[in-house]
Amino acid sequence: MMNIHQRASARRNALLMTAATVLLLIWVFPLLWATVVSLKSESEVLAYPPNLIFKPVFQNYQDAIFGDFSILDSLLTSVIVATTTTLLTIVLAVPAAYAFARLKLPARRTLGFYTLATQMVPPVGLVIPYFLILNKLQWLDTYQGMIVVYLTFSLPFAIWLLVSYMEDIPFEMEEAALLDKASRLQTMWYVIIPQVRGGIAVTVIFVFLNAWNEFLFAVQLGGNTVRPVTVAMYNFVSVEQTLWAKLAAAALVAMLPVVIIGIAAQKQIVKGLTVGAVKGGGRR
Amino acid sequence: MPKNSNDRTLFDKFNVSRRTAVKTALAGAATLAAPGLMIGRAHAAGQYMDLGSFQGAGIDWRMAEGEEITIAVIPAGYFKNLEEVMPDFRTLTGINARLEMIPPGQIRQKAVLDLSSKTGTYASHAADPMYYQLYVANGWIDPLDDYLNNDKLTDNAWFDYEDIQPGHRGATSVDGVPYGIPFDGEATIQIYRKDVYDAAGIGPADTLEQYASNAAKVHDPDNRLWGCALRGFRGAGQNMYIYPSIFKAYGGEWFDGDRVTVDTPEALGALEYYVSLLNKYAPAGVENWNWPDIADAFGQGTVASYIDAHGSAAVVANPEKSKVVGKIGFARWPKGPSGKRVTSIWNWSFPINGALSEKQKHATWLFNQWAGSREVQVATTYAFPGAYKRTGANRASLWKDPKFLELMSQFGDNYVEATTESFANDTDPDWRPRLPQWPAVGDTMATAIQAALVGQATPAAALKEAQEKIDKILKG
Repeated sequence: MMNIHQRASARRNALLMTAATVLLLIWVFPLLWATVVSLKSESEVLAYPPNLIFKPVFQNYQDAIFGDFSILDSLLTSVIVATTTTLLTIVLAVPAAYAFARLKLPARRTLGFYTLATQMVPPVGLVIPYFLILNKLQWLDTYQGMIVVYLTFSLPFAIWLLVSYMEDIPFEMEEAALLDKASRLQTMWYVIIPQVRGGIAVTVIFVFLNAWNEFLFAVQLGGNTVRPVTVAMYNFVSVEQTLWAKLAAAALVAMLPVVIIGIAAQKQIVKGLTVGAVKGGGRR
Repeated sequence: MPKNSNDRTLFDKFNVSRRTAVKTALAGAATLAAPGLMIGRAHAAGQYMDLGSFQGAGIDWRMAEGEEITIAVIPAGYFKNLEEVMPDFRTLTGINARLEMIPPGQIRQKAVLDLSSKTGTYASHAADPMYYQLYVANGWIDPLDDYLNNDKLTDNAWFDYEDIQPGHRGATSVDGVPYGIPFDGEATIQIYRKDVYDAAGIGPADTLEQYASNAAKVHDPDNRLWGCALRGFRGAGQNMYIYPSIFKAYGGEWFDGDRVTVDTPEALGALEYYVSLLNKYAPAGVENWNWPDIADAFGQGTVASYIDAHGSAAVVANPEKSKVVGKIGFARWPKGPSGKRVTSIWNWSFPINGALSEKQKHATWLFNQWAGSREVQVATTYAFPGAYKRTGANRASLWKDPKFLELMSQFGDNYVEATTESFANDTDPDWRPRLPQWPAVGDTMATAIQAALVGQATPAAALKEAQEKIDKILKG
């Protein structure tokens, strides 16, 4: 027999599960709908009442990938831009975050504030300055131009995220290494980085996601050479008509790399997300 | 339109054709190549036109050989067709011209950014006719009469600028001076369900009043058939695309001297008509409907009539998407109380960016002239080898060409007549208020129209507020 406590907790669990399921359904519905739409013909997409039983067609995927408005080369562009941005961000942000977390830099707080302050400007306010700067450098519609612009967002964000992870590592661990005559760099490499692996994984995901999903700068600063998939997808929303099924197919294809990376890093993310919560905010 | 197999060829745009197969193979190969090489999509080398007919023009097509120019366009079937035949331009002129596709929502900002910062990124772009006043006021683009009247640059006996639809020429000129060469344009026409109208014993409306009574007669929302729909979505190119025609048909005038007037009795009559018509007979949510939504609903058979661009026939008569193929009739805009019918004069045209070098300008002019020429118009409409054929041919002579008309008449009853008569009789260059502040004015009007439609304000109050805002915009 269950006692009162068990019964109460069972009831609470049931309630929590229901709430979680409802929230999950709300979140998943658009995705499910997009999947269904991507498998229908254009005339079925708009049918009312919607047919839930239909013969799935894969033509939309073929059109999205190989058709008149193929997203194939744009996918490759997105991979190049997002991967390079992520790699450079991590390579630069890890030492920077370490410095902010550990070194007694002059004006550390001020520098930290300015790093964060760059995140306070609404991105749309930066479109024109960036356009003019890149134009002067002849970097409009180039990979280096797009990546440098993305770095200006991802670096401050990554540094601040990583600082909080690094501050959580007990100083004693590092002290032991330093006493054994390890250099700062060695300490960082052998002691700190293994400890913040989870944090780095989280940062990678967020930076990659942001670069992958970015649209505003991609459309204004890119062009024929650098046209990420977010921009290319718009080709299905033409002036004449919206090709819903092909748009849905393209969107799902474009989602795939992110989903794969997400699943691969899920373990690290969950770990990374809970670190701060369990240990508290460090000593900022 | 009979559903026989011949008709399919017009529309099976997405079936895998030989061209697509070649492209697929090339796209695959391109993916393996370095990203830098992936500019533009690969084309099978081929001649789409007889280059000899261009040589007939008494100009030196190779005067800007070796130049590189980029032209911004939007992803639309008509520009896709143009891109397809562009290798011929490169062969003819030795100019490396390429099109860049920019989403329609962004092309205006991107063009303004480029023009205002004088970067010369886009030698030309598919321009919104309503933006010419802004461009010209700032001196961002070149007047084209210098090019048209220079016999080294233009052989008008061959190019025949005057053959381009007068409404479209008017829309791309400022104070009588041409600034853009129209490439693809439209007229707005009445599109209705012939079967539904026949069953109700009515024909297409001749007057706006009759348009409303027609809607009332067939309106049957219980059986999912609504009387009519017009663009309700807020935007300078959405509800402020359809309202101006009604405004003009009610006898409205945008200008009183230098002042823009939007709260006259005629303006109020037009807005009251629009609001009452849509509230009574349009599906719920029409305030969020743009042209694709309307065409989709009509194609699904839930809307009995709408008034929009003649090009939307290609969507509602496409058997892949539409359930009402063969049941569609067309007519001109209904007359308003002033006796006028006023169509849209919307078109995409090519200006010349003033920030270019002399030689680049010549290269751009050659491109504009080439794209607007009869030869290229033919090559991208009925003579186009692909399945999609353009409907927005820019030339009056093409709208008399039996081959073009044969293709157009497949859309349904009275299509060619309604469209050509609209082009000939129903255009008005001042269909919308043309002034440099158009983006802000258009947006203000769009907000007012929608506010009245959803009942946030009475039509009179909405127009009064719009008038005050516009007065401020024009003063500042």
